[in-house]
Amino acid sequence: MQPTEQPIIEMRDVAFSYGEDADRALDGITLTIAPGSFTGIIGPSGAGKSTLAAVLAGAIPHHFTGQLFGATLVEGQDTCELTLTDISRIVGSVNQDIDAQMVASVVEDELLFGLENFGVAHERIDETIAAALDAVGIADLRDREIATLSGGQKQKVAIAAILALAPRVLVLDEPTAALDPVSSRMVFDVLRDLNRDRGITVIVIEQKVALLSEFCDRLLVMNEGRVALEGTPHEVFAHAAELRAIGVDSPRVARISNSLARRGLYPAGTPCLNVAEAASLIARTVGTGAPQAGEPGSVPAAAPRTGSPHAPAPRPHAEGAEPVVRFSGVTFAYPGGGASVNNLDLAVYPGELVGIVGQNGTGKTTATKLVNGLLRPSSGSVRIAGVDTRDVPVSEIARHVATLFQNPDHQLCKNTVRDEVAFGLELQGVPRAEAVCRAERVIERFGLPADEAPFSLSRGQRQMVALASVVVTEPAVIVLDEPTSGLDYRECMTVMETVREMAEQGSAVIMVCHDMEVVSDFAERLVVMADGCILARGATADVFADAALMARARVTPPQVVELSARLAQEVSPAFAHETEVSGIVDTTVALAGSPAPTADPEEALRA
Amino acid sequence: MLNVIDYVPGDTILHRLNPVTKLTLAASIIAATFLADGYAALIGLLLLTLLLGAYAGSASRLFSLVKVLVPVSALMLVLQLAFVRHGEVLWLFITTDGLVSGTKACLRLVGVALPLVLMLTVTKTTDLANACVEKLHVPYPLAFTFTTALRFVPVFTQEMNAIMEAQTARGVAFDTKNPLKKLMLMLPVCVPLLVTSVGKTDATALAAEQRGFYLRTRASSYRRYPFCARDAAAALVCVALIAGGIAL
Repeated sequence: MQPTEQPIIEMRDVAFSYGEDADRALDGITLTIAPGSFTGIIGPSGAGKSTLAAVLAGAIPHHFTGQLFGATLVEGQDTCELTLTDISRIVGSVNQDIDAQMVASVVEDELLFGLENFGVAHERIDETIAAALDAVGIADLRDREIATLSGGQKQKVAIAAILALAPRVLVLDEPTAALDPVSSRMVFDVLRDLNRDRGITVIVIEQKVALLSEFCDRLLVMNEGRVALEGTPHEVFAHAAELRAIGVDSPRVARISNSLARRGLYPAGTPCLNVAEAASLIARTVGTGAPQAGEPGSVPAAAPRTGSPHAPAPRPHAEGAEPVVRFSGVTFAYPGGGASVNNLDLAVYPGELVGIVGQNGTGKTTATKLVNGLLRPSSGSVRIAGVDTRDVPVSEIARHVATLFQNPDHQLCKNTVRDEVAFGLELQGVPRAEAVCRAERVIERFGLPADEAPFSLSRGQRQMVALASVVVTEPAVIVLDEPTSGLDYRECMTVMETVREMAEQGSAVIMVCHDMEVVSDFAERLVVMADGCILARGATADVFADAALMARARVTPPQVVELSARLAQEVSPAFAHETEVSGIVDTTVALAGSPAPTADPEEALRA
Repeated sequence: MLNVIDYVPGDTILHRLNPVTKLTLAASIIAATFLADGYAALIGLLLLTLLLGAYAGSASRLFSLVKVLVPVSALMLVLQLAFVRHGEVLWLFITTDGLVSGTKACLRLVGVALPLVLMLTVTKTTDLANACVEKLHVPYPLAFTFTTALRFVPVFTQEMNAIMEAQTARGVAFDTKNPLKKLMLMLPVCVPLLVTSVGKTDATALAAEQRGFYLRTRASSYRRYPFCARDAAAALVCVALIAGGIAL
């Protein structure tokens, strides 16, 4: 929808810095938000996205201090002249840290808080709460303790609590950062319903570009405090080169269509944003080409596998090598209930990168804690490098197993990056001088500031420091629990490339990750878990291609896998089991017939 | 993980009393415990608390608290035995007077701690805060600070556990048997905990303000907490308890 009324929020040349000498977090932002629009904001970390959200919601200038220039108008009034309370009657905001956002311990009280404060008539309160809970689909949670809810449920409570106050605008800062793909989509479904049915203007900051581009009608790309690109998702993702330079991921299907467009098989400027669009595009492209579907014999050879830079290169682990991690019949249950695991059997060899996938609460994290010894199996055994974890203390296991946790802040405790990275080595008994020397080498390779305090760095850099202190110990086993959450695309790739190098040097890597694109790019073998059991295991491509298995484990396969399955069915069997952007592109090119000069003058020129 | 002071749902008379009455009742038991001087009264008050706890379904919580208090009161007993020097010597440094005042101190310690915890387990913290604002005219910011602090206890415990796990996985020997060594290891870990707590507190303050915290008045609360007949009856019990405490 393209409303033409007066903008509900308008920013005029807004700049902001958090201190006198600090760099500008925002630098000359001019934008208008139309009422009833659904705006997505993307950009690398440090681009000023959260600062922008704070300005939109009035937290700047009323809560965070700094230097603010320009004007921000909410419904035509300058936010500097309104109080934060008045602004929040119009603009409701949901912040990043969902636990800190809560003000009560029971769901109903959480909703009551705002209603009571804003003086909603007491006879209307009951129906307002019921309506707000209903709108986000959690009417059954009304009397639950918030502490007992899952991340997705908490996020919905936070949205309902804001919704009950009937704001005209909702500003959400990475609402799905801690959620699995299924819950993330559910949160976005809620937002779309609110936007469509109630006309609430939605502004959402998000790293999951593929998801976001399906829902928003306008996209802002931020970089270094400025708006770098702006437009509909189709318009924005047509600028593939700019986005790559900024460090923003594009949905894989957009990469495919942009790649086809570069080959002249498809007019540039309107990239695909979802699997359906891409499937029909490729069907058309192939359909107009010479060889028809149903002649599989002529095709596979014609698809040269160039291999994308992200393809998991098969690492031949030595035949007959001993597995470095071996689970046999491992069972564990928490005394108070929780994600238990049943009868796990697993062997991981040196040099392997194994991904564990499954829904939230199926015991993936429990499995990783069994590897690093934080938990001991109640029956069965876990052997790390031949040693049963029940026989040695955790601090002893740490010599072989290094863990990178989801939240780097739990891991960091020293005053400088140098001490932090050296600390792990010192704990292993490496003499201080040597530890510092080895730490310096790793710090230099990672390009980190050795003398800074880890806590003064950005989230992405803190994760890099945590990773550096894992790398420096050269462990036999690396355990990664959601290593990429909270990181932007470029940081995510740096972390994962480093991990892959570690695997190539002989470490065994076990990774739990919600981002199926990352899993499909980097893991060579997958273990699928559901309800505490291992459902299946196998090569990444085979596991993702098994649609029935994916449905049973409630895992959404990566876009490319979904696309290739669909194309194999509808267009040509040659697409079956493609897991990479380049594979799909090459097969399409092959099927469409090599670039025909008559149909494709631009490609001919370039050649 | 359960917290000792978490609300235990229920529908007993104790649950249905006005939060202010419950607070008064707990305060009266505590006052009586301080005033009373005989073993019978002290043990009686302790039994009363435990019986009330059993009735309200939170006996298991009280017992888990007693387990924590036993070593503390044992330490207190030893100190009393060592410092009270008058009376007949029974054995080594132990005197009769020391034994009497030591055991009474132990009973008092347990008797003072339990009623408050019992009161918290049968009252939702928001109800307690709202009722105190309505009836006792406690300023709302103070009540909010109190409920938030209670709410943050499990949040920070979780955070602390996550930090300890992460450090243990790095090789910090938190699994040592030596409590002193463990304490020394925990000190540096307090830095990350402090950093996260300050961040979380600030975020909560912002979230509260964005939902009209500063507009709140005494009349804002949706729930009302009127006193009724059972509250009056409980008030009589309170008076009786204190009178009994003075007499015995």
